[in-house]
Amino acid sequence: MTAGIGRRHGRGFAVAALLPVLAIFTLLRIYPIVETLRLSLFQWNIISRRKPFVGLDNFAELRTDPLFLDAIVNTTLIAFGVLLVTVPVALVLAAMIQARAGTRRAGFYEAAIFLPHIVSLVPAAMAWKWVFDAKLGPLNAALGLVGIPAQPWLFDPVLSLLCLVVLCSWQAVGYAVLVFLVGLKNIPASMYEAARLDGASAVQLFRHVAVPLLRPVILFVSVVTLISAYNVYAQAFVLASDAQGAPGHLVRVLVLDMLENSFRNYRVGYAAAEAVVLLGIVLVLTGVQFRLLRARA
Amino acid sequence: MASALRRPRSVLTLATCVLLAAPAQAETLTVWGGWPDLAPFYQRVGEQLKAKHPDLVVNVELVPLREHEKRLALSLPSGSGGDVIEMETEASRYLEAGLVPEPPKAVTDFVRVNYDGTRLKTATFDGKIYGVPLFQGHGALFYNTDMFAKAGLTAPPATMGQYTEYAKKLVQRDAAGNPVVSGWSLRLSGGGSGIAEKWWTILYNMDGRLLDEKDGKWRAAYASPEGRAAVKLYLDNVQSDRTVLPEMKADAEAFELGQTAMFIRESWVIGDIAKKAPGLHYATAALPKGTLMVPVDLYVPSKGAKAALAYEYVMQANTPENLVWLTEQTGWVPNRTGIDYATAIATAPGIAAFVTPANPQVFFTPPPIAPASEILTRLAARLEKAYVDKSLPGNDAAIDAMLKTAADETDRILAREDLLMKP
Repeated sequence: MTAGIGRRHGRGFAVAALLPVLAIFTLLRIYPIVETLRLSLFQWNIISRRKPFVGLDNFAELRTDPLFLDAIVNTTLIAFGVLLVTVPVALVLAAMIQARAGTRRAGFYEAAIFLPHIVSLVPAAMAWKWVFDAKLGPLNAALGLVGIPAQPWLFDPVLSLLCLVVLCSWQAVGYAVLVFLVGLKNIPASMYEAARLDGASAVQLFRHVAVPLLRPVILFVSVVTLISAYNVYAQAFVLASDAQGAPGHLVRVLVLDMLENSFRNYRVGYAAAEAVVLLGIVLVLTGVQFRLLRARA
Repeated sequence: MASALRRPRSVLTLATCVLLAAPAQAETLTVWGGWPDLAPFYQRVGEQLKAKHPDLVVNVELVPLREHEKRLALSLPSGSGGDVIEMETEASRYLEAGLVPEPPKAVTDFVRVNYDGTRLKTATFDGKIYGVPLFQGHGALFYNTDMFAKAGLTAPPATMGQYTEYAKKLVQRDAAGNPVVSGWSLRLSGGGSGIAEKWWTILYNMDGRLLDEKDGKWRAAYASPEGRAAVKLYLDNVQSDRTVLPEMKADAEAFELGQTAMFIRESWVIGDIAKKAPGLHYATAALPKGTLMVPVDLYVPSKGAKAALAYEYVMQANTPENLVWLTEQTGWVPNRTGIDYATAIATAPGIAAFVTPANPQVFFTPPPIAPASEILTRLAARLEKAYVDKSLPGNDAAIDAMLKTAADETDRILAREDLLMKP
């Protein structure tokens, strides 16, 4: 009887403690998603008083909108490019840092790799813009030393996509390394010792012990990296924006297209439809990743 | 102190003392704009107004244009914008939605008397004046006189054909034949509507039109022989003659660094050169026929006493003395007629091509319709691709097809907004 009352009190306390957080989460996360879904069904001009219901018309228009189609292809290429670069690179870097755990330089390596993640995005992108500059950039200068002709990095449609992948990966790697390090530190030392007794080399330890045991962490990092890369915007904008004389080829990405439709074209309903498509893509890809990695685990 | 605060009478006395000691509530006026280089001008006007209203505080909040457009879209519908705001052609959207009240009669009378038809039209919606034109952006040619002299050119180009011929003579190349100083810096990349706006000015000077209008309805007019010629002009310069390449430094920065011989831009470049390259030898010239003119007007979205003060500020900004100061300090050209620019021209001779052009100029403005920006942005995206499309040079049919696809898209946007003119 007393134990039952205690449990009820405990549950009541838990609900009471969670309610404010749930309320804030609902207000700031769930409500905007539901509202976006609603807006996508309206011709919702940001300042017009007339906002008629148009059903799925916005989605139908998206199917033939060349700018949206450009944006979705570009964003997908960037997102998968970042995923393919970030996860393996971060995993290897984390393993290398872990191998030096306890040394004086381990902390320095961790800090140095994490630094790009916390550097303000705009100045970082400006610095990369200089690196990629066709005429004055150090990248072309370095390529010139080995006889490779200068490339128009920020003007060629393919190369400018590559530049974005490099920039986004550079920023994402630090966080991924940090998460992988936590995962690596949680692998029991006995696992490694047992493998070593069986004659495993360092590479084999990494490949056959660390990586399989890190699958849940790899899943987490992959999902976070992919979602974050699908939201690429400022990097594309800064690399192409015209700072009075140094424009570049504007790689159209989904968030940029949404912002343009919302605030320049005032078509919030249409931009909401784009957001719904983005949400759908991210949900599907996340589901696929969960299935793939869990199945292998 | 703690015990004193516990006694209600003491607290009341303390609060009264604090209230009496506080200065009278200051009147605040907030100015919003999208041209940060105008901050000294707006602050100067604010200082002048403070002579009449000592308690007045003027907050000048200027941000880059795109950010300004965003904050207008977010704040005006909720009635929380600045007290004096700059707007370009997007104003028609807010006026249509009833978000800006009509100004007092004294203000509309002032506008009616002091601005010509084109400027007046930009501040008018549905037959009523809502805004007070302040300044405008319109293009003219900037050319490096040293480079012209070196190339044996004694006068600015007079036709668009001559622009390309001049560019070929002015371009400087390295040993491998690659351009290192562009002959004519064209707007080729960077996204946004700017690419289409610049192309529109060149199209106009080649006798073409972007849109046709009749009874408030519109239709794309650029899928035409003139449109094809305007695209070919870009293709000639970028791909055939290579007088300019997309990856070269461009615009004012290139001009100030001596990396281009000429380019078309608004008058603000004069102020920019004065700051960044005061030793540059250059001159300006009006374009062959006319130019796109983007007017910036001031609007007052507030009502009541605040609005009266805001309009006082707007009128103060438009005094001839302040407008000449604006031109001298920033290079921007005001809209008001009857201004004597003699001192401004003496300070910066380049102003002359903008305020007293040698040949008559036709000024045309972006259409005052809701989808204007969308039309230009989408056309710009197609032009940006076309300029570097290797299949287009020498292929008129392909250029025509590109223009036809773009024009169809423009017409679809107009139809969606119920603005399409029947053929």
